[in-house]
Amino acid sequence: MFLIYCPYCKATREEEEFHNAGEAFIARPADPEAASDEEWGDYLFMRKNPKGWHWEQWQHAAGCGRVFAVKRHTLSYRIAGSWTLAAGKALFLQEGGV
Amino acid sequence: MSGYRVSRPSQRIDRDQTVRFRFNGRDYSGFAGDTLASALIANGVTLLGRSFKYGRPRGIVGAGPEEPNALVQLEDGARTVPDVKATQIELYPGLSARSCSGWPSLALDLKSLLGRCGRFMPPGFYYKTFMAPVRAWPVYEKIIRKAAGFGTAPTANDPDFYDHLHHHVDVLVVGGGACGLWAALLAGRAGLKTLLVDDQNEAGGWLLSEASARIDGLAAIDWVASRRAELDALPNVAVLTRTTAFAHHDLNLVQAVERLQDHLPAEARRADQPRERLHRIRAGHVILAAGAIERPLVFGNNDLPGVLTAAAAQTYLNRYGVVVGRTILLLTHNDAAYDTARDLALAGSRVTVIDVRQRGAAPARHAAVIAAGATVLTGFGIAEVRGGNRVRAARLVRLDPLSLKATGKGPVLNADCVLSSGGLTATVHLYCHNGGRPLWDEERLSFVAPAGGRDDMCCVGAVAGYWGLGEALRQTHETLGAWLAARGLGAAGQAPQADDIPAAPTRRVFRIPDGRRPGAGAKAFVDFQNDVTAADIHIAVLENYRSVEHVKRYTALGFGTDQGKLSNINGFAIAAEALGKPIASVGTTTYRPAYTPVSFGALAGPHARETFDPERHTAMHARHVAAGAAFERVGQWMRPHYFPRPGEDLHAAVARECLAARQGVAVMDATTLGKIDVKGPDAREFLNRVYSNAWSKLEPGKCRYGLMLDENGMVMDDGVTACLADDHFHMTTTTGGAARVLSWLERWHQTEWPDLKVFFTSTTDHWCTTAVVGPKSRDVLMRLCSDIDFAMDAFKFMDWRDGTVAGLPARVFRISFSGEVAYEINVEASYGDYVWQSVLAAGKDFGITPYGTESMHVLRAEKGFIIVGQDSDGSMTPFDLGMAWAVGMKKPFSFLGRRSLTRSDTVRDDRKQLVGLLTDDPAAVLTEGAQLLSSPQVTIPADMRGHVTSSYFSAYLGRSIALAVVKGGAASGGETVYAWSGGQVTAARIVSSVFVDPQGERQHV
Amino acid sequence: MSDALFQPYARSPLDPLDLAGQAVRPSPENGAWANEVRLLAYLTLRGDSADPAYARAVRTVCGLSLPDAGRYVSGVAGVLLWRSPNECLLLTSRRQAASLRVALVEAFAGLLAEVVDQSGGLTTVYLAGAEQVTVLRHMGGYDFGSLEPGQAIATVFGKTAAVVMRADAHGVHLIVRRSFAAYLWALLARSARPYAFTVGRLPAAGTDPVLCLQEGATVLDRQDRVAV
Repeated sequence: MFLIYCPYCKATREEEEFHNAGEAFIARPADPEAASDEEWGDYLFMRKNPKGWHWEQWQHAAGCGRVFAVKRHTLSYRIAGSWTLAAGKALFLQEGGV
Repeated sequence: MSGYRVSRPSQRIDRDQTVRFRFNGRDYSGFAGDTLASALIANGVTLLGRSFKYGRPRGIVGAGPEEPNALVQLEDGARTVPDVKATQIELYPGLSARSCSGWPSLALDLKSLLGRCGRFMPPGFYYKTFMAPVRAWPVYEKIIRKAAGFGTAPTANDPDFYDHLHHHVDVLVVGGGACGLWAALLAGRAGLKTLLVDDQNEAGGWLLSEASARIDGLAAIDWVASRRAELDALPNVAVLTRTTAFAHHDLNLVQAVERLQDHLPAEARRADQPRERLHRIRAGHVILAAGAIERPLVFGNNDLPGVLTAAAAQTYLNRYGVVVGRTILLLTHNDAAYDTARDLALAGSRVTVIDVRQRGAAPARHAAVIAAGATVLTGFGIAEVRGGNRVRAARLVRLDPLSLKATGKGPVLNADCVLSSGGLTATVHLYCHNGGRPLWDEERLSFVAPAGGRDDMCCVGAVAGYWGLGEALRQTHETLGAWLAARGLGAAGQAPQADDIPAAPTRRVFRIPDGRRPGAGAKAFVDFQNDVTAADIHIAVLENYRSVEHVKRYTALGFGTDQGKLSNINGFAIAAEALGKPIASVGTTTYRPAYTPVSFGALAGPHARETFDPERHTAMHARHVAAGAAFERVGQWMRPHYFPRPGEDLHAAVARECLAARQGVAVMDATTLGKIDVKGPDAREFLNRVYSNAWSKLEPGKCRYGLMLDENGMVMDDGVTACLADDHFHMTTTTGGAARVLSWLERWHQTEWPDLKVFFTSTTDHWCTTAVVGPKSRDVLMRLCSDIDFAMDAFKFMDWRDGTVAGLPARVFRISFSGEVAYEINVEASYGDYVWQSVLAAGKDFGITPYGTESMHVLRAEKGFIIVGQDSDGSMTPFDLGMAWAVGMKKPFSFLGRRSLTRSDTVRDDRKQLVGLLTDDPAAVLTEGAQLLSSPQVTIPADMRGHVTSSYFSAYLGRSIALAVVKGGAASGGETVYAWSGGQVTAARIVSSVFVDPQGERQHV
Repeated sequence: MSDALFQPYARSPLDPLDLAGQAVRPSPENGAWANEVRLLAYLTLRGDSADPAYARAVRTVCGLSLPDAGRYVSGVAGVLLWRSPNECLLLTSRRQAASLRVALVEAFAGLLAEVVDQSGGLTTVYLAGAEQVTVLRHMGGYDFGSLEPGQAIATVFGKTAAVVMRADAHGVHLIVRRSFAAYLWALLARSARPYAFTVGRLPAAGTDPVLCLQEGATVLDRQDRVAV
C-alpha cells in the first residue's frame, strides 16, 4: 500500500483514496480521422511498461477528484514525487520523455 | 519423554492457580501461565499427532510459533479453531482441545501402515501415483485429504467479532525481547511516538527462558520488568502484547494481529470486545527486533515424540517449570546448548551432552555442565533414535574430526528424551516480506538481516545475527544511538551491560552423517510438518530441480502452518550440498506474509455481515420493504425486483406488473440512475465530444438519449440527458455506471481538454426519481401537479418541465424505457418518500401498480431497448447494436471512440450484432447466456454463432421473446438458430429486436 | 388537488433507524456516541478558487472567504468546506438555504461558477466521546489523531468515502452521501462497540458551527412524517 502525495490536497494519503489512471502524457492524436489504423492502434493499445521510472496518472477519487502525475519506480515502488499534470508534463519533457 | 513439574525461581506460571483442561477426551490440570504444550508435557503426554504423509507418531518439538507437529483442534462448535499450535495456546480454565491428525484414531493410524512402506513414497508420490485415470482424481483426492489429517473448519457462524485499528507512529518496534525493549525505550525517551508489539503474553523474549542472564547487575527478568514499567510510564509509548506482526508492506505498513480474548475462559470473554484485532501500522521507522529461533539437527528418527529442540526444553524448564525428561541426550554443534544441559542437570535430569565437535565447548561452559552433574561425549553424533511411539534410546555414531562423515560406531544410550541444537535461525521474515534479501552469515550459520537494516528499518539483536545478549544490546544501542543522533534527537546515553561467555567455534553440521547413503538409513526429517526428509531433498536435486524454489515446491519443504521456521535453513543447506554450491548462492525461498497463520476473521475485520459491503437504499426503501418487495442488488443498490401479491411467484407478479404498465399505470423507483449536473459555457461541446450523438441543437426543455463510447468505439454507458439551459444539462447514467462515468468525464476534462469551461457535479443522491408509466400515467400526474400543462402538444415525448409535484419543486421528464407514455418525477430525495406515497395515493383510482427491475427488463426488451452490460459486453459498437441512429458521424469534433468505428476490425460484417429471437415454441423461454448454433447437431468444436443476452416471457405478447448477439445477425433475419443450454437445443428464428409497437407510436399518445 | 394528498414531509437519510427514539444523554462511561444532524441544507459551489471574482462573490453572499485545501471556514451563513480547487461545500440551515442559493446564482452571473443543491443527497453524523478518535481509527486509515479544529478532509471509511471535519475538541462531523449513510452508520456503530457506544442526544450547539445550523432548522419534524 503506497502513500501518495496529492498536489491539490497538499497532503500524503493512503493509496486506497486514489485510483490509478494509467500511463501519463499519452497525447490523443490531434486529428484522429487522419491517423492510420496503425497509429490509432498504437495510441489505443501500446503502453510503455518500463522496468524503472514510470510516469503515471492517479486520481484522488475519494478526495478532491483531481487527476495528477506521479513518477514511480516499477521495481522498487519508490515514488519520486507528485505533480499537477501541467507541472509533471514539463518535467517529463525536460527529462526527454516522449 | 516423561515430563514432570519442578519449581524454578524463574518460572512465569502461578503454582497457586490450578487450571483444569481437557485434551483428547481426558482431564488434566496445569497452572495459570502455562501453554497447552507446557501443561501437556508436565502431564506426561507425548503423542500429539500423526504426520502428514507417513502417519508417524509426533510430539512437541518447539515452544513457540516454530512448532511443526503439535497442531490441535481448539474447542468445539462455532468457536472451534483448527490447527492451532499447542505451543501458542495459553491455558485457561475449561480449555478443550484434541489432536487434528490421526485417522481413524490417533493411536491407530492407517497412514502409519503406509508409512512403513515409506521407501516407496518419494517426493511427488501423490502426483506420480495417482496420475491415471484422470477422471478418478476427485475420488483419490477425497481419500488423500482425509488421510492427510489436519483440522476441520467450523461450520457454524462465527459468534465473535473482529476489528481493525489503524496506527500512525514514528517508530514501530517489532519484538519485546531485551533489544526491542531497549530500542523502544530509547525512541520513547527521545519523545517519538512509539509502538512496541510482541507476540507473547508478556515482554521479555528469550530472557523469559534464560534464567541466569544478568543485565546491568540485575537478574534479566527484573531488568525486563523495570524497562517495561518505564515504557508504560511514557505517554508517547504504547506496548501491545499477544500481538504478532505478521506482514511488512510498502512504505512501512506493518500488519499485526492482537489476540484479545483467546487466553480467557469462555465465561470471562466479553461480547462487546473483539476476539482479535488487526492493527495496520504506518510507521516512520521500523525497528525489527524479532530475535531468532533455534533449529534442530537432522538425524535418523529425529521426529519421534520426545525429540525437541534444546531451546524449547530450556523454555519449558525455566519459564514453565517443566522438565522434559528424566534421561536426556542433548546433541549440539555449539556452546549455547550447554546452558540448557546445565539447567536440566541442575533440575535433576540425567543429561548426556553429545557434542559433534572433537574438542567440545569452551572451558567455562564445559566446567559448568560437568559441575551440574552432566556427562559430555565429544566427537559423536546421533545416527538414529530408537523407540516406538516415544524415545527409548539413541544409537550414536563416531564422527570424523575433520570431514563430515561417520567413521565408526558409537554406543546405544538409553534415554526418554533427545534434544538437539543446530544453532539459531534469525527471524528475518519481516525484513524480507517487501523485497529485502537476507544475508548468509557463514560464521553464525544463519541467514540474517543486515545490521545496517534498510531504508526506514533498523535490524537489532539476534535478527541481525547478534546471538550474545551483551553484543546484541550493544549493537541495539549503537544502532539506535546513531539513528537518533542523525535526526538531532540527542544522545542515547549508556548501553545496558551484559556479559557474553566466550564460546568455542560452532561446527558446520546440518545433517548428522549416519554412515549410510542418502535414503538408506533411518528417516532423518528436515521438515516435520510436511514429512520432508534429507533424502527427499537429495532425490529432488537428482531429479534435476536446481532452484531452491522448485525444490521447495517439489518436496513441500517449508510449506504449512509453520512455514519452515525449523526446517528452512537445514533444507537449504542440504540442497546446497546436493547441488555442490555454497548456501549463499542457493539462497532462500521467498518470505511472504503471513509470518504465522492469521484468522479470516481478523483479516475481514469490520468488513463482514451487515458492513460487508454498503447496501445503498433509496429514499423510498422502507416503503418497498413494507410493500413486501423482493429485492435484487444492482451495483450496491438494493432495488425492488418485483412486488409479489400473496400467492404470486416472480412470473405471476411480473406478468401482472407488465400488463399494468401496458394497459393502465404502473410506478417504479428509478432513483438509482446516476445523475450528473453538467454546467458551463462549453457544456454542450463537451457532450458532443463524449457522446456519439449530436447535442448542438438540443433546446432547453428537451431531453435526448445519449450513447457513450470508450476510445475503442465500444458502448460503455447510456442515458437520457436533459437540457436545462443553454449551458446547463442534467445527465443520467446507468445505475452501475454512475461513478465510472463521472470519473471518465473528469479525466478527459482534466487531462485532454482542460480548456473547456464546464463543471461536472454528481447529484445522484440529491434527486429521487419516480417513474410513472402507462397509458393512464398522465391522469395520475395531472392529479399531483397543477402548474404543468400536460396537454399532448404542450408537453411532448422527450420534453421536460419544471414545476411542482404534490406541492414540491420537481423536474418532470417525459421519457420512456417501456415504450408507453411515461413521466419521471425528480424531487429532492428528502421528499422522495412523500412523493412516492403521493403518487400511489393519486394513482389509486387508476389501479396504479408498483413494479420492480424484472418488469422493467421485460418492458424494455419488448421494445428492443438495450441494457449496457447485459446486451452489450464492452465489445459492442453502436453499429453492432443496431444503433447507427445514435452515431453522429458528421459531427465536427472526432468524438470519443469515433475513429475506432472505422478500424478494420470494427467494420467487419461478421461481428456479433444484436437481433431478436422468437422460439418456435412460444412457451419456451431461452436461457440467458445460451450459445447459439447454426444447426441442431452439436459438433466439436461447436459452431458458435453468438449467445442469448436477454430472455423473458412477455405476458403482453403471450409468448417468449429474447435478444441475442449473432455473428452477421443484422443480415440474417428469418434464419433459424439453435440455442444450446444444459444439453437441450431450442430452435429460434432471428427477427427484429423490437417486439412491441415497432413504429413507436404508443409513447407519443 | 386530490383528497388523497397530505402535507409534504422531509426525511433525513437515517430516519429509518429512528435514532431520535433511541437517543439518550451520553454519560462519561460512553466512550463514543453519535447521532445524525438531520436535514441540514447543502450547496455545492463550483468555481476556480484562484478566480478573485468568484471568491469575491462567495464572500459577498456568504460572508466567508474561500477555505484553503483541507480546511473549512464558518460564519452566520454556515460552514464552507474545501473539496477541490474548484469545489466547495456549504453546509447551511434549511431556513437560509433558499435565499443563499438565489443570492449565489445572482452573484455568479457572468462568472464561470455554479451552485448545485445537494440538500437531498447528503447528511451529517456527529461523533463524540473520549474514544472518538479511536473509533475513527477503526473505520479508516487516515491519521485522524492529527485532525484539528478547522480541518475537513475527505477520506475512505471502510468501503465508502466521507468528509470528516473536526468542529472542536468535543466532536467531529462525518458528511456522507444519502445512500451510503446507513452503511457508514453501521460501520461506526460496529467500530464503537467496544467503547460502550450509544446514540446520544445532540448537545446545544455551543461553539460547534455545524450543530448551530440545526437549531430550528427542521421545519418539518417527526410528527409530520408519522402522518402517513
